[in-house]
Amino acid sequence: MARLRIESEVTGNVWKVESAPGANVQAGEVLLIVESMKMEVPVEAPAAGTVAEILVREEDAVAEGQPVAILDTA
Amino acid sequence: MSWEEEAAEIRRRRRLAKQQGGQTGIAKQHARGRLTIRERIDALLDPGSFQEQGQATALPDYDENDRLLGFVPANYVLGFGRIAGRRVVVGGEDFTLKGGSPNAAGLRKSVYAEHLAVRYKVPLVRSLEGGGGSVKGGGGRRGGTVGEPVFAPPRFRIIADALGQVPVVSMAAGAVAGFPAGRLVASHFSVMTRHTAQVMIGGPALVERALGARLTKDALGGAAVHAKSGIVDNVAEDEPAMFAQVRRFLSYLPSNIHERTPRVESDDDPERMEEELVRAVPRQSNAPFDMRAIIDMIVDQGTAFELNRDYGPSQIIALARLDGQPVGVLANDNTVYAGAMTAAAGQKYRRFVELCDTFHLPIVNFVDQPGFMIGPEAERDGTIRYGMAAVCAAVQARVPWASIQVRKGFGVATAAHYGPDAYVLAWPSVESGALPLEGGVAVAYHREIAAAPDPDAKRRELEDRLRKARSPYPRAESFAVHELIDPRETRPTLCRWVDWIQPLLDELTGPTTFPMRP
Repeated sequence: MARLRIESEVTGNVWKVESAPGANVQAGEVLLIVESMKMEVPVEAPAAGTVAEILVREEDAVAEGQPVAILDTA
Repeated sequence: MSWEEEAAEIRRRRRLAKQQGGQTGIAKQHARGRLTIRERIDALLDPGSFQEQGQATALPDYDENDRLLGFVPANYVLGFGRIAGRRVVVGGEDFTLKGGSPNAAGLRKSVYAEHLAVRYKVPLVRSLEGGGGSVKGGGGRRGGTVGEPVFAPPRFRIIADALGQVPVVSMAAGAVAGFPAGRLVASHFSVMTRHTAQVMIGGPALVERALGARLTKDALGGAAVHAKSGIVDNVAEDEPAMFAQVRRFLSYLPSNIHERTPRVESDDDPERMEEELVRAVPRQSNAPFDMRAIIDMIVDQGTAFELNRDYGPSQIIALARLDGQPVGVLANDNTVYAGAMTAAAGQKYRRFVELCDTFHLPIVNFVDQPGFMIGPEAERDGTIRYGMAAVCAAVQARVPWASIQVRKGFGVATAAHYGPDAYVLAWPSVESGALPLEGGVAVAYHREIAAAPDPDAKRRELEDRLRKARSPYPRAESFAVHELIDPRETRPTLCRWVDWIQPLLDELTGPTTFPMRP
């Protein structure tokens, strides 16, 4: 088990949060969607695990490289 | 009387030179998880193909009767060899001796490796490991040279010249700093190992002395740093994977600028049409899609070799083959800033176009360009300068160029996606103009929008009206593109184009007006 910090690849705004702490997710599952340059960019779980924390709320501004979620991998 | 005695002595000295830093030095290198330079050369080249140059170069130590007391091999090993049957020059520092910092003969050999590759018109593969010059110097009383004569040509001239003559590849498989780090980036392709290499201008000791910051080599110049800095093109998991990448990179290139790119027999049907392509681009223009999957479906199966993925990630650059013909692939990754051209993406783009132009690689460009990146960071990064450098490289390119309008094509940045006389194809998902619809409406109709009772509704109404009016057919009707195509037809269409351009590729051999620079 490892604790992964998931970062936004881009600067933008949180458009939708699609997961919550405690959720069990598969690799590639969408945790939240960041809108940047008019594109809706999904932030996905890099591995299967349990969402420990979602660090942003909808409409929050995020910067490139900013942690947006914490995932405990199985 | 014969020369048997001397012949035996020659053989003995060759053996001594191959002992490198001795058993202790070699064991230390292995303990660091790294191969020695001779092991690297053997693993990289076709088996048994290494022909060493300067086998007995060394710093000898004689007694008063001219008897050899000690023998320190030059800590640079070089020679000819073959990769997939084609001749190359390979050279590298011997880290088991003096930490790779050049001794006098070693330095001479490292410079000569560059000359040798240019002279015999073959690719140069550098294995880099070491910190470059040392204040202890390379010569002095032990008989080495002290400084260059004032009339000597610049030592770095050959490094710049080589980039316009032969493929130059550099591998970092240990700590690489100073001059070797300079050599690393003066390459057409550079690769470092993920866990055993670091690339630094100055190492931790220098940084602490100059800046008071205590950092490890990995924090300064490990793979995590340089995959993103763009200092290396690629990261390899270990040394064997690194050698495989070098061999793969060279497979797409000619041996020198006077030759054509090596076209091979392809076992992938040029008429292959992938069904998935007609669904690959979503109809909503704010939904991202997987451009790499599109490229993989169109080029010869398994031939796409991406470079520099994490640097300027909105721009994809790759080598690939179409019906066996090596091509350079440019494409936008719309999952990163919609594929916009950032400062880093602009530099990545410019270098890659120069690489293709230098070695006559036709360019295939999958266009989904929303424009130069905008915003305060983009302005601070000087984005438009690097973006225009990319545009200039494209419009002055001489190689045959095919562009496929996949989705967006907005603003000045789009000019970077078309070389002169480009063969232009469009997919039905194409949208283009000076500005994307959404932002563009707000700018062009700002008075009308502001005067409306419900400005937001007015803006949406204008956007909807213009979106409905957008259609892919007029550009085909007015011959603004060569063909509007079903996305599934892309591979057959491009493979036919590859046949058409063969005579043009014959004409292109020789120097370009503007070779690649680091």
